[in-house]
Amino acid sequence: MFSLLDPPVGAMSWPLCLLLPSLQTYARFTGAPLKVHKISNPWRSPSGTLPALRTSHGEVISVPHKIITHLRKEKFNADYDLSARQGADTLAFVSLLEEKLLPVLIHTFWIDAKNYVEVTRKWYAEAMPFPLNFFLPGRMQRQHMERLQLLCGEHRPEHEEELEKELYQDARECLTLLSQRLGSQKFFFGDAPASLDAFVFSYLALLLQVKLPSGKLQAHLRGLHNLCAYCTHILSLYFPWDGAEVPPPRQTPVSPETEEEPYRRRTQVLSVLAGLAAMVGYALLSGIVSVQRATPARTPGTGALGMAEGDEEE
Amino acid sequence: MCNLPIKVVCRANAEYMSPSGKVPFIHVGNQVVSELGPIVQFVKAKGHSLSDGLDEVQKAEMKAYMELVNNMLLTAELYLQWCDEATVGEITHARYGSPYPWPLNRILAYQKQWEVKRKMKAIGWGKKTLDQVLEDVDQCCQALSQRLGTQPYFFNKQPTELDALVFGHLYTILTTQLTNDELSEKVKNYSNLLAFCRRIEQHYFEDRAKGSSSIRLS
Repeated sequence: MFSLLDPPVGAMSWPLCLLLPSLQTYARFTGAPLKVHKISNPWRSPSGTLPALRTSHGEVISVPHKIITHLRKEKFNADYDLSARQGADTLAFVSLLEEKLLPVLIHTFWIDAKNYVEVTRKWYAEAMPFPLNFFLPGRMQRQHMERLQLLCGEHRPEHEEELEKELYQDARECLTLLSQRLGSQKFFFGDAPASLDAFVFSYLALLLQVKLPSGKLQAHLRGLHNLCAYCTHILSLYFPWDGAEVPPPRQTPVSPETEEEPYRRRTQVLSVLAGLAAMVGYALLSGIVSVQRATPARTPGTGALGMAEGDEEE
Repeated sequence: MCNLPIKVVCRANAEYMSPSGKVPFIHVGNQVVSELGPIVQFVKAKGHSLSDGLDEVQKAEMKAYMELVNNMLLTAELYLQWCDEATVGEITHARYGSPYPWPLNRILAYQKQWEVKRKMKAIGWGKKTLDQVLEDVDQCCQALSQRLGTQPYFFNKQPTELDALVFGHLYTILTTQLTNDELSEKVKNYSNLLAFCRRIEQHYFEDRAKGSSSIRLS
């Protein structure tokens, strides 16, 4: 029995790790008994990062391709029936996806201003506990932006629009190539799904399911009917309750509340304590309240007291 | 492979001359085009193409395999040159800094190394060990070998861009002297890839060299 720790699932969480849906899909394809735990704080995971897989032996693996290797060792291998040539094709197409489609997905969700503000940041802010939701999404955005810049090479600011156009053109070409390769087959290699299907499905489903305010790539994808049918087919077979058309927002009122339950009490207590500490500190510093040391019973002390009393009388 | 007359020139500031910062680039008339993809498109626009005879599915596969080579072989080459301390110390720094006087040669070499290491980290190769990188190269060569099979070229009997790209990388790996030969050993394990390289070298470079002396490969 494996436990996979991952952030709140549903259309919300997928951008957190673009590989995560492919891991889950792969597990579903192979029938591996996987239990998904939803946690929204990466520091609560046993390895400190998400996703993480805890195996039945108590081992924790957090590198995605090692997770797939482990599943294969435990005899959950979706590529068992593939020929050597098909295995080689899988490697090639996965590279194609990572080079052409992944940068554009990162750009769509994290760099494109409209999408980031209206969709991505909102999801994270809602899913994460206080106070992480203030700075973690911003930090992730900076990390993604740096990664994208390194991947695409140095470019001057005035060429940014050109670069963006080129990136999107490459991605559209990649989608068209996938569509041509799939043709009218049910899966990429015949009638049974393989790991390539898991990868392709995870990227495509992300693009199709999420309602983006500026979805240039989405429009192109919707035009490729065989890919849309492919996604819907896999969704109906392996993710029946999520469904293709069921709107995720129906589930959101339920899950954030249960998530927040354990945190609410804690944040309340913390905020009360913080407020008290702030008030006491201010009072002490500004002299409204002063702490006097208890003086020993000696003449200068009583003299001082006497003088004070004298002052008061006057 | 397209029978086009070219002259290969080495320049120290090639990376700065290139419009995208990457080499190689070609200079034709008053146009400058860099990187393999755009160069292929440019040549195609002028009427020369190697992949016209392929159908859509084959074109998709060709593009995918080209990305595989770029992803694995190119990155492994960069890793070995810049992230493996032995190679860096003995070969890379000296070679990269050779056109410049001291101290510029040291500074530029370190700067380039820092840049490459950052890129490695961004794509997740920063924490890989040399053995893991060699394993990835082996996997890539295995995939290429399986795809090639017993054919003379990757697609039918005519070479395409993929053949040119694979030849370029494999030939360089096989003929460049490094501190350790493990990378070229990995490639040598696949006899059909070796035969492939030999065939292209003989057909396109040695025969041409007899006629014109523009390209010389030692």
